[in-house]
Amino acid sequence: MGGKVTCTLGEVKQKADFIVYWGGNPAECHPRHFTKYTIMRKSKFLPNGRKDRTMVLVDIRETKSAKAADVFLQVRPGKDFELLTILRALIKDQPVDNDRIPETGLTRDVLDDLIRRMKAAKFGCMFFGMGLSMTCGKHMNSAALLTLVAELNAFTKFVAMPMRGHGNVTGADVIMRWQTGYPFGITFNRGYPRYNPGEFSTVDVLVRGDCDAAFIIGADPGGTMPQPAIDHLKRIPTIVLDPHITFTSRLARVHITTAPQGIAAPGTAYRMDELPLPLKPALKSPYPTDEDVVRRINAALDAKPFWLPEDGRPRMLTAQV
Amino acid sequence: MPITLRLRRRPTVPLEAEVLSPDALADRSLAEIRALTVYHGKRQLPLGEFFDVDVEGERGDDLVLHGELTKVRWIGRAMTRGSVTVHGPVGMHLGAHMAGGRIEVHGMAGDWIGAEMKGGLIHVHGDAGGQIGAAYRGSPRGMTDGTILIDGSAGLEVGMRMRRGTIVIGGPAKSFVGLQMKGGTIVLLGGAELRAGAWMNRGTIISIEPLPILPTFAPATRVNPGFVGLLARYLHPFGIRLPHAPEEGDYRLYSGDFSVPGKGELLVWRPAAEGVASRESVGGGI
Repeated sequence: MGGKVTCTLGEVKQKADFIVYWGGNPAECHPRHFTKYTIMRKSKFLPNGRKDRTMVLVDIRETKSAKAADVFLQVRPGKDFELLTILRALIKDQPVDNDRIPETGLTRDVLDDLIRRMKAAKFGCMFFGMGLSMTCGKHMNSAALLTLVAELNAFTKFVAMPMRGHGNVTGADVIMRWQTGYPFGITFNRGYPRYNPGEFSTVDVLVRGDCDAAFIIGADPGGTMPQPAIDHLKRIPTIVLDPHITFTSRLARVHITTAPQGIAAPGTAYRMDELPLPLKPALKSPYPTDEDVVRRINAALDAKPFWLPEDGRPRMLTAQV
Repeated sequence: MPITLRLRRRPTVPLEAEVLSPDALADRSLAEIRALTVYHGKRQLPLGEFFDVDVEGERGDDLVLHGELTKVRWIGRAMTRGSVTVHGPVGMHLGAHMAGGRIEVHGMAGDWIGAEMKGGLIHVHGDAGGQIGAAYRGSPRGMTDGTILIDGSAGLEVGMRMRRGTIVIGGPAKSFVGLQMKGGTIVLLGGAELRAGAWMNRGTIISIEPLPILPTFAPATRVNPGFVGLLARYLHPFGIRLPHAPEEGDYRLYSGDFSVPGKGELLVWRPAAEGVASRESVGGGI
């Protein structure tokens, strides 16, 4: 089933002598990543910095990051899952037909060289981006990479980390996880958390039209989600909390402008390695913070009668049958 | 006589009605049935709010449901006896965890049909969603016995982590059929998209149509395994014809998935000569 073998960026900075970026373009999307945490960094264990580290880039086209890489592997679009599955077989010396490897865009020699390098590394780290997790295969591509990394630990230390995007997306996952046990795709309709991505994840709920209201904080689904989801957001009462007017605000019933986090509102942001960092506001804002608004909404809800019937305590799905 | 339920009010949000199972309804009076709790989103409401319940004469443990039930979930959950017949489309988790009895759907069905079922029969006369007979997220094994028959197409991850039992898909299935399969049999009469049998450990996937094979599978041999004949005889009463006679053709056997490394098998049907056994004559339509 997999699971994530991971560490903090501090450890990557100090120890990782083998770094793979898969389906990401850090040179343009995470411009400080090389110099702060990975290949350019000198450390106690890797005193020569760039010379002590090997970088591999796997992507469907030669991006700017390819110039920084020692090895660039151009995988054919939509073949990441096949490539990762072949690598899983090859690291265990399982037979793979050489004639079937070129369909991934790579050759047997290249893969043998990659595996030799991976196994020879003292501390390997794989960063994966949206080029892997949002293309054909979706969550199974991420699962394939995480499983490969877990299995590489039979030979050497290897970790994996997603390259997270804008804002505090990691924070949302982390908070949901310690509050409910699950990172996303959760329903509370029975009074206790249940997890089922595909059934309860936002985009699926909206596409099927399963919700009759939407409350959106610090996100812009109107700009990223498929058209049926946007149409449903237009149909139902949608409330948006955001410092800016977004695509979602334009189709929402209510938009509440809030103070921007880290600039005018204090709080905690989670770095992509799930390390919490305090945010101190530098400016004052005339707008309330997200927290203020949610607290006030909660206070107003508390004044209303509780939504479960008098004797109706939350009941497990298994209670009746 | 069966208990008949007609959808009176269409739910606007998902209606979780795991009480729509013979085990929950058979021994209850009409008034008790109407008072059973269903979850309309987060609201707890009586079943009578959504369904007209009728019983004619002597009660049995058979259920007949009518209406547009796309948003009604968990029908026949964990049922052990009797039957459920649905006239209309149904929502997710149909017959999940069921241990016995049979479910028949005249219409489409959603995702997670027969997820983690332990026995019984589910027959959907229409298209179905994904994760048929699968294991729920984080759970080690999917269906452990029973039979699921889908006349139409199917979605992603059919038979994900299934352990035993039989799944037959009449139309085309999407990607990741038999993902991480641990046993059991999946029959694909209409072929499948990419990555069939990915990460499978054991178990059998039989395809009547040509199938894209993952690079981590290896061609082994051409066979007409004896068990396909037995399976064909088991499926014959449902109107499914599975080719197995040597004069009709043979199966190309691929073993894998070597990335696990697993001992699963993929059997892809090859008619003896083109035109002799086309899709219409073998396996076409349940």
